[in-house]
Amino acid sequence: MNARVLPASRRPAGALRRLISPLVAADVFDFWAGRLNRNWTWDRPRARLVAREAAARGAVTLWLRPNRHWAGFRPGQHVNLGVEIGGVRHTRSYSLTEPPRADGLLAITVKAIEAGRVSQYLFGQARAGEVFELGEAFGDLCLPARPEGAWLFLAAGSGITPLMALTRQLAAEGMPVDLDLAYWARTREELCFLGELRALAARHPCFRLHVGLTGEAARDAGERAGRIDADWLDARIPALAGRRVMACGPGGFVDTARQLLDGRVADFRAEAFSPAPRAVEDSGEVEIHLTRSGRRLHVPRGQSLLVALEDAGLKPASGCRMGICNTCACGKAAGSTRHLPSGALAHEPTQALKLCVNSAVTELELDL
Amino acid sequence: MSASRNRALTPAELDRFGEELDALRARTLATIGERDARYIRRIIAAVRYTEVAARTLLFASALLGGLLVAGQAWAWLFWPAWILGTLLLGGAKILENMELGHNVIHGQYDWMGDPQINGRSYEWDIVATSENWRHTHNFRHHTYTNIRGLDDDIGYGLLRIFPEQKWKPFYLLQPVIAIFFALYFQWGVAIQNLKLGRWWHGKMTGAQLRHKARPVLRKMTRQLLKDYLVFPLLAGPFFLPVLLGNLVANGIRNVWTYVIIFCGHFTADAETFPKECIKNESRGHWYLRQLRGSSNIGGGKWMDVMSGNLSHQIEHHFYPDLPANRYAEMAVEVREICARYGQHYNTGSLPRQFGQVAWRILRHAFPSRARIKAPLVLPEPEPTPEAA
Repeated sequence: MNARVLPASRRPAGALRRLISPLVAADVFDFWAGRLNRNWTWDRPRARLVAREAAARGAVTLWLRPNRHWAGFRPGQHVNLGVEIGGVRHTRSYSLTEPPRADGLLAITVKAIEAGRVSQYLFGQARAGEVFELGEAFGDLCLPARPEGAWLFLAAGSGITPLMALTRQLAAEGMPVDLDLAYWARTREELCFLGELRALAARHPCFRLHVGLTGEAARDAGERAGRIDADWLDARIPALAGRRVMACGPGGFVDTARQLLDGRVADFRAEAFSPAPRAVEDSGEVEIHLTRSGRRLHVPRGQSLLVALEDAGLKPASGCRMGICNTCACGKAAGSTRHLPSGALAHEPTQALKLCVNSAVTELELDL
Repeated sequence: MSASRNRALTPAELDRFGEELDALRARTLATIGERDARYIRRIIAAVRYTEVAARTLLFASALLGGLLVAGQAWAWLFWPAWILGTLLLGGAKILENMELGHNVIHGQYDWMGDPQINGRSYEWDIVATSENWRHTHNFRHHTYTNIRGLDDDIGYGLLRIFPEQKWKPFYLLQPVIAIFFALYFQWGVAIQNLKLGRWWHGKMTGAQLRHKARPVLRKMTRQLLKDYLVFPLLAGPFFLPVLLGNLVANGIRNVWTYVIIFCGHFTADAETFPKECIKNESRGHWYLRQLRGSSNIGGGKWMDVMSGNLSHQIEHHFYPDLPANRYAEMAVEVREICARYGQHYNTGSLPRQFGQVAWRILRHAFPSRARIKAPLVLPEPEPTPEAA
C-alpha cells in the first residue's frame, strides 16, 4: 500500500503491431483513440470505473475495467492508480480486493482518509465512466501455489484489502487451510466486507473471523475490544506457534504484530502503509535508495540533493544548478522533499524532481 | 542605446528587484492547476486536429491534381486545397514546435504528472533531437543568456550580431547566409550541439563526432521518411503535391521560428555580457541580465500562441519553467516592476523588432566597434567613516 511508481507494463507485441509500430506515435494514437474511448491506448494500461458500491461507513468499493494492456495480477498484490484531480495526476497504490475474475473486472476498496486528496476524491466524486491510469501489479503478500497448514491474517483498517483478496481466493478454492482472520477497526460501522466475511465463516468451519474494536465496546459474537496485544491474541487465536501469519495495516500496527509474533510463529510476513510524515526534520542524515543503480547511501537533510549526491562521488546529470534548466530532474517514487528556495514540502511521488534545488526530508527512492 | 535607457542599480536595489520577481513567481506558482492543464490539452488538441485537416487537404489536392492533369473543369480546386493544406500544416508544425514542444521540453507542465508531456522525454516534430535541445537551449542558453563564449545562440557560430563578436571577412557574406539559415533553420538547430567547428579545428576526433551524430542522424532520417516518403507514398501516383506541401510547410515553420527566436535576443537594445559577470552572480543580477538580453513582441493573443509565448521572451527568461500560458498576465506586473527600478522593458511590434534584427545582421557584417556600456550594477558604496 505504499506509494510507489513502477514503469507501465509492456506485453510482447504481435506481428502486426511490430510491423506498424515504427509508424505510430503513441501519444498521437492515444489522442485519437481517446476521442472514441478514453480507455483505448497504444500501450498504456488504463482502467474505466464501471460501478461503485458502499463498502462501509467512509469506504467505497470501485469496480474497474482494465484495457488490454493490463498484464494481470495475483491476489494480495496492489496496483498504482493514476487519478487526475484539478489537472494533476496523483498516484496512489490500492490493493485489489477480488481475486482475478472471469469478467476481468478489478475491485479496489478505498477508505476516505481525512485530508487525503485522492481517497476523498474517489470516495466522494469519482463517477462511473471515469478513466484512470493503471500501473503494473506489484507486491508479494501472496499465497503459495498450494497453501497448507494453519494461517493467521491480521488486518487493521484498510489493511483488510489485500487479505480480503487472499481470503476470497482461499474460499474459492474451498478453504483448503485452517484460517483465522483478525480484523481491527475503530468502530463496527467502519468494518468492510463484514457480511461476506460472516457468511464465509458460517459456510467454512475451518475459517474463523475475529473482530477487534479499538473505539467501541464488543457486542456481537466474535468481537473483542482493544488493540492488538498478547492478551488479545491469546484470548482469540488457538495454537499460535504453528501459524503462517500475514499482517497488513498502518506502520504502528504492523510493528506491534511483528514484535509479538515474529520468530514465535512458523512464518511472518507483513506490509505497512507509509503515510506522509507528520514531524518534519531538516537536520541529521537520511537514506536514499537509487533504484536504477541499486545503490543506497546516506545524505544530509537540508542540503541540495545534487550537491549531496556529488559529495558521495556520484555524477548525476546537471546544468544550471539553480532550478531552471530541468537537466537534473529525475523521478521520485517515494519520500518527502523540501524545495530549498521556497521551503515548500512535497510528499507526492513525482516524475520530475529537480535535484539541485531540493533536499531530502525523509528516506527517498530516486530513479537514478 | 540601451545604456541610457536603464538606471544602474545599487547592489541593495538589485537584491530587492530579484526578491520582487521571485515573489511574483511564488504567487503565480501557487495558482497553477486545472486551468493550465486545460490550456495545454487544448493546444495538443489544436495541433492534432490542424495536422489531420492539413494532411487531408493535401491528399485532396493530390487527387485534384490528377484531375487537373486529366483536364477536368473543376480541378482548379487543386490550388486552394494545396495552399490551405500547406499553410495549415505549417501552422500545425509551428504550434507543435513552439507552444507545445518548446514549452513542454522546458518541463513547464511536469507538475501535471502526465508522462506524454514530460519535459525529459517529449520528442518534437522537427529534425533536431529534443535531447540536444535540452542541453543547448534549456541549460546553456537559459543559464548563460547572451554571455559571449557560453551562449551558443549568439549568432549560432555563423552570424555576427553584436559588435563585441570579433569581425572576420567571412561575415561579409552573412546577409546572404542569414537568409539560407532562416530557410533551413531546423537543420541549424539540429547540428548546433554537434559543434562541427570543434571537429573542423581538430579539437574533436571523427569518432567522437560520429558518436554524437548517431542519434541526430536517426532523428533526421525519421523526419525525412515521414514527410518526404511515407505521407507522399500514401497519395500514390499523385505524390508530388503532398511532398511539395510538406516541404513548403517545413520551410514556413523554419522561417517563422527563426524570426521569432531572433527577435528574442538580437534587437537593437539587446545586450551581451562578458564571462566575468556571472562570477558569484546574485539572483537579482541574473534577472537583470535576462531582462537586458531579451526582447518581447507585441501583438496579442494570436502572436502569443503562434510564437509559443516567446512574444513574452522576457517573462520566459525570468520563469522558463512556469507554464507559458501565464506569461501574458505576469507581464503586467513584470513591466511595472521594471519601470519602478528604471529598467527598459524591451517590446515592440514584430516588424519593428525584426527590422532591428535585420539591421544588426547587415550592419555587423562589416567591422563595427562596441560602445562603452554603463555597468549593470553600481559599485558597493564606500563605507562611510564612522563618526568618532
